[in-house]
Amino acid sequence: MQIESTRFGRVEIADDAVINFPDGLIGLPGTRYALIAQTESSVFLWLHSVDDPAVALPVANPWLFFGNYEVEVSDEDAEKLRLEGPANADILCVVRASDRLEEFTVNLRGPLVVNGPERIGRQIINETGDFSVRQPLFSETELNRVRPSAPAAPVAATGV
Amino acid sequence: MLVITRRSGERICLGDDVTITVLEISGSTVRLGIEAPSEVPVYRHEIWAAVKAENQAAANASITRLPTPTESSN
Repeated sequence: MQIESTRFGRVEIADDAVINFPDGLIGLPGTRYALIAQTESSVFLWLHSVDDPAVALPVANPWLFFGNYEVEVSDEDAEKLRLEGPANADILCVVRASDRLEEFTVNLRGPLVVNGPERIGRQIINETGDFSVRQPLFSETELNRVRPSAPAAPVAATGV
Repeated sequence: MLVITRRSGERICLGDDVTITVLEISGSTVRLGIEAPSEVPVYRHEIWAAVKAENQAAANASITRLPTPTESSN
């Protein structure tokens, strides 16, 4: 299918790349999203709404930034995700992007759990640890290694 | 808004499916037991509100470019 993204223009989404969030994302419209990558090497992906062309959130694998991060998925959440174990659970965290790298933050308290094979996603409240909803993403050392990427190339739909 | 008084051990029903029990009152804190069907999400309000605010802020960012580690882009 195609979406007319307000950010990226026309984007082709493979049908099997769509992730269903039956309960939506907290505070946002729509229940169907797809992960799109701007560049193959980007550590960030966009979780783009299939239902609303204006809704897209940057997301990232939290362990790329926080090696000691932990997520606890409750039995109720696992049941809704039809997860039988951690093997099929992909974890993504919502990134609040900014013009300034030092203002990037990530929500470690409300991660997205995706059952890859079943294409079901759910935003959960992570009850383990004391993780922040607004954790600064880049330490000073990392800031020296990161620069803004080139202007968005045509985006390609990817799976998780 | 409905304002009612409950004592320890008393309950509140929300519709047919949701029951809230006042388990214990200790000083300024109250322990509540919540029974609800699995399809009814139950959140602490401040966490729910914070996650909602972060989602909306993330979706509203005017950013269309995201940073790339220099190692992998060179």
